[in-house]
Amino acid sequence: MSSSLNVCIVDDDDIYQFTMVKTMKALNLTDKIMVFSDGEEALDFMLDNLHNDKELPDVIFLDIDMPIMDGFQFMEEYVKIKPKLGKKITIYMVSSSVDPVDIDRAKKISEITDYIVKPITHDQLTSIIQELDSNGSL
Amino acid sequence: MSTKDSELSEQYNKIFIEQAPTAIAMLDKDMRYIAVSQRWITDYKMEDKEIIGRSHYELFPEIGEDWKANHQKCLKGAIDICEEAPFKRADGTIQWIYWDVRPWYVSEGKIGGLLMHTGDITPQKEREKERARMIQILDKTNEVARIGTWEVNLSTNEVYWSKMVCEIHEVPENYRPQLETAINFYKEGESRETIQRVVNEAMLTGQPYDVEVELVTAKGTSLWTRAIGSGEFEDGKCVGLFGIFQDINEGKLAEQALSNANAELKAIFNSKSVAIITTNEKGIINHFNHGAEYLLGYSTSEIIGTQIPSLFAKMEEVERFRQDLSQKYGKDPLKGLAENNEFDVREWTYIKKDGSKITVQVTISAIKDTHGEITGSLTVASDITAIKNAEIELLRKNQVLNFAERLSMIGNWQWNTITNEVTWSSNLYKIFNVDIETRLTYDTYFSFVHPEDKEMVTNHVQYSLEEKKFPDLLHRIKLRNGTVKNIQLLAEIMTNDAGEVIELVGTCQDVTEQRLEEIKFRGLLESAPDAMVIVNEAGKINMINKQAEKLFGYSAKELKGKSVEILIPEAYSAKHPGHRAGFFANPKTRHMGEGRELFAINKKGKLIPIQISLSPLKTKEGVLVSAAIRDITSQKIAEGKILKAKEELEVFAKKLVAQNTKLADFTQITSHNLRAPVSNLNSLLGFYKLAQSEEEREDLFQKFESVIDHLTLTLNTLVEALNIRKNNNEDRLEEIEFNSVMVKTQEILAGEIMGTGAVIKSDFSKLPYIAYNKIYLESIFLNLVGNALKYRSADRVPEIYVSSGIENGKKFLKVTDNGQGINLKRHGHKLFGLNKVFHRHPDARGIGLFMTKTQIEAHGGSISAESEVNVGTTFNINFN
Repeated sequence: MSSSLNVCIVDDDDIYQFTMVKTMKALNLTDKIMVFSDGEEALDFMLDNLHNDKELPDVIFLDIDMPIMDGFQFMEEYVKIKPKLGKKITIYMVSSSVDPVDIDRAKKISEITDYIVKPITHDQLTSIIQELDSNGSL
Repeated sequence: MSTKDSELSEQYNKIFIEQAPTAIAMLDKDMRYIAVSQRWITDYKMEDKEIIGRSHYELFPEIGEDWKANHQKCLKGAIDICEEAPFKRADGTIQWIYWDVRPWYVSEGKIGGLLMHTGDITPQKEREKERARMIQILDKTNEVARIGTWEVNLSTNEVYWSKMVCEIHEVPENYRPQLETAINFYKEGESRETIQRVVNEAMLTGQPYDVEVELVTAKGTSLWTRAIGSGEFEDGKCVGLFGIFQDINEGKLAEQALSNANAELKAIFNSKSVAIITTNEKGIINHFNHGAEYLLGYSTSEIIGTQIPSLFAKMEEVERFRQDLSQKYGKDPLKGLAENNEFDVREWTYIKKDGSKITVQVTISAIKDTHGEITGSLTVASDITAIKNAEIELLRKNQVLNFAERLSMIGNWQWNTITNEVTWSSNLYKIFNVDIETRLTYDTYFSFVHPEDKEMVTNHVQYSLEEKKFPDLLHRIKLRNGTVKNIQLLAEIMTNDAGEVIELVGTCQDVTEQRLEEIKFRGLLESAPDAMVIVNEAGKINMINKQAEKLFGYSAKELKGKSVEILIPEAYSAKHPGHRAGFFANPKTRHMGEGRELFAINKKGKLIPIQISLSPLKTKEGVLVSAAIRDITSQKIAEGKILKAKEELEVFAKKLVAQNTKLADFTQITSHNLRAPVSNLNSLLGFYKLAQSEEEREDLFQKFESVIDHLTLTLNTLVEALNIRKNNNEDRLEEIEFNSVMVKTQEILAGEIMGTGAVIKSDFSKLPYIAYNKIYLESIFLNLVGNALKYRSADRVPEIYVSSGIENGKKFLKVTDNGQGINLKRHGHKLFGLNKVFHRHPDARGIGLFMTKTQIEAHGGSISAESEVNVGTTFNINFN
């Protein structure tokens, strides 16, 4: 059963983008998937749709290492616009980095729900979507 | 005359000579004895000697050459007679002799030898001398008594005056007066008439005279003389006068002096200073002089007729006086005094009329008449109140002194070095625990000196006597009961006019307690871990401890009394007295020279880094300052070590930081650049397995290729970077001309330069060459100039400026462009990271700057960037 969740992927790695979209579709988790290659593109989209809850994502899978604006820089900007947002957005930081410096830094940001090391498994992805979906339906 | 006759006559002569009553000797021509009389033997004390046949000169070796010459003359016929002559005998005695030496003849004209006739007149001679001496004594006596003799020859009217008579008359010694003129010397009037009368009488009747008459000398002096004379009669007729004459003027004068004394006595009797009171035999006052009035305040009229001494004496004193004298004489006091011709002298307290008391010294004696009967008493009193008060004051002061001495445990002493007599004050006896009756000498004191201090004391005393000054002496004494005390002696040395020591006067203080305190204090001082120096207000060192001796290299003795500035290096010592005065003005514990480095100077002149803390020390001698001094040499050394270690650590830390940065780079690389493609491969592999169509697999496979290409590139880059870092040795350094590298870079990038119309300028004049790895330098140029072209602004023709130079001793290279610029605020931290891109440029791969940085750092240099978005970027390379 496909949920109605808006899923957003922010990652410069086109292979990753490809595998994520393909996995979610295969698992039939959602139909609404947005893909941005760096933080700036994603941020611009959100600024354009501050009050457009329909278009705003429910969940963001955010990469750290990106050109122009990386994951952390995106989070700094996100914290600034968050009060203006009418929608609760769950953010997962997803990175191939196992560097504790990165993990610690991510965990200190309260707006980030969890840090996930690439590759993200099908089960992880399923349970995340299902949990969000059930919360949202309550 | 026959020979036999002559021999016979010689024989007779001998017999005659031997028996002669006087001393006679017969000698032959060789002066050998032929015969001597018995008297000769006794006169010359030759009883036990063999004489006959022996030489005269052998028996009298004392006979001199002059006599021998006389004998030779006699042997030729001369006669030598001498009435008296001293004959100095060999034994030293003088014999007075007379002699008659003449030759005797064997026949007519033929001399057989000498006859010597001598007499010992020594006894006569001595009597004569005795007489002369007596006369001399008499003369002297006359002279002293001023007695002279005189004679008058009435037949010639000549007058003889002895020397003294002339002297009394003050006329020359050879003055020869006439009887008339002699009488005229007597004073006109009574004296001249008297002498005239007695002289006439003496001449007429022979009556001797003895009168005292006044004389006027030739020089007009008038004096009293005594003239004694008597007449000389021949056949009832007076032929002369003789007598003696004495100057008695001095006696007369003495008489006058006596009467003067009487007058003086009267004056005393009437004076104010002495009170004289007499009573009759019943004790009723009959005389009360002016002095008594003055002394007691009563008038004579008030007192005369009253009973002595009820009015002004204290009855208990009167009672005591009576008891004392009754006991002494066993009878009435006045009688006792009278019979023994004694008087009583004592102090009385008299009460004046106004009731005030005075102390008087009173002499009481009895007055007797010529028969020895008591007719009254005599009381002579003088006021000694002032003397008494002074005496009391003195006693009191002495007592106070004694108290003071006892309290301060001080005694005083005197040592007469000539008689070796020693005097101690009473407290000194106490200090030495000696009976006050003990007779004292220097040895008394010395016997108490502690056995271990005896030598020191002896040396000290010897030094003092020689140098005539007595430095303070502190030593121990051991009392008879074994108690040990510490005493301090101070003394002055007294000398006579010749500068010889005659006396030492000084004090002696029992400082045992102070000494104990001092020992306690010293113990504290010695136990202090720091060097301690105690200084007085004048900056003189009072005391130091062992640590201080060790630190400064001086002995305590050397430093005592020296200025503390001796321990301070010259650079500081000038200011120090001012600091010291400041401390004493506000004495409280504090550190010295807060915040500054302090140094002391030791005996060898070495500077020692120190820390000082000062504390005031209140003592009897005033405020002292105790300075605790710590040698911080080792601290300084340790500090130096720490500083050095810190510097080394900093260098090390820098290196570590550098290495960590490199390591971090690799962590980053492995985390992102390696794991990401690998995880992608895994994901793709999963899809590949699930792929249902060949088309899908083809699509996936292309993606595999892309990931593998990316991974290969990343790994190659990494390997290259690792090689660069590993090969950071300087083997490959060569001198490279910047310009040639620039030219080569432009050749490689010729297509892009032409295509963009870029303007490239360069200036390497300030640093044309550099020693570097050529491949790296070419890579650096290619990357930086290539980037400048790649990220050019779409709105401007690219302008690139490359220059080299030296700034602050460091070689640099600069590449400036007018391109898009980078937001360094956002991307600065990852500008030189692997695979980092900042532009959405199709060719951006994030490898160029990573490699450039790696190459530069491999040679110890650094790279940084300045940039403004849409204005341009400058890369600065610092070559180290």
